[in-house]
Amino acid sequence: MQNDIIFTILALLTIVSSIVMISAHRPIDSALSFIVTLVSIAALFGLVNATFLFAVQIIIYAGAILTLILFIIMFLNIKEENLPDEKYKNWWLLGTSVIVLPFAIILIKLVTMSDISVNNIPSENFGSIHDVGLKLFSQWVLPFELVSIHLLVALIGSVTLSKRGN
Amino acid sequence: MVEKYMILSIILFSIGIVGLISRRNIIVIYMSVELLLNAVNLSLIAISADLGDSAAQVISLIVIAIAASEAALFMSLFVVLFRSKGSLDANVFDMLGDKND
Repeated sequence: MQNDIIFTILALLTIVSSIVMISAHRPIDSALSFIVTLVSIAALFGLVNATFLFAVQIIIYAGAILTLILFIIMFLNIKEENLPDEKYKNWWLLGTSVIVLPFAIILIKLVTMSDISVNNIPSENFGSIHDVGLKLFSQWVLPFELVSIHLLVALIGSVTLSKRGN
Repeated sequence: MVEKYMILSIILFSIGIVGLISRRNIIVIYMSVELLLNAVNLSLIAISADLGDSAAQVISLIVIAIAASEAALFMSLFVVLFRSKGSLDANVFDMLGDKND
């Protein structure tokens, strides 16, 4: 019961802040409301006992990625004339919502019709760093190593991309 | 509980797709992509909590790592594009099809 109330508050917060995120004119407003979305998604992770992912979401998303976005917005010194003049932005948003809405309704119908709620038995140390780490380093070693190569490629790519004079 | 999480995840994914299609500011487009990844993560975590299996949490950990590297690439791309064109409009960036530019 208590979980339902917390879930409802967090879900409303997530949806409202993400709508503000896609509809704000200045990028700094969207970045700040996106922080609210990410933190409430992290709280939703915590609500189902995924404590390690809760910490990772706050540290990496709200801590690293959003700080990077805010720094870039600050460094670029964006003026009003640098932004696109989206005269028909609200009409675009409305039209796209009308297109996307039927697919969302069909998916929600499918989810509510199917009996995906299987067992609801949370185990003893589910979602702890021990549990996730054991899984990561036993069955998922190959994707883990591939992610390290991927990070290296992204590092080299971003350095070469932003080098002056090419 | 898992049904509510799935419905919230579908709603967030739809909002992300609406932002991805209808906006022209590249920073907002990038944040919409991140919102899509977050919606997928949310449904993965809900399913993993429902099954009591932590494999989906490992998948979403890998998704977060990929999103971080994507953030680094996007940021250097923003800097390069803003330096060359002085704008954040996605309609301005058509250098790839233009040989004289």
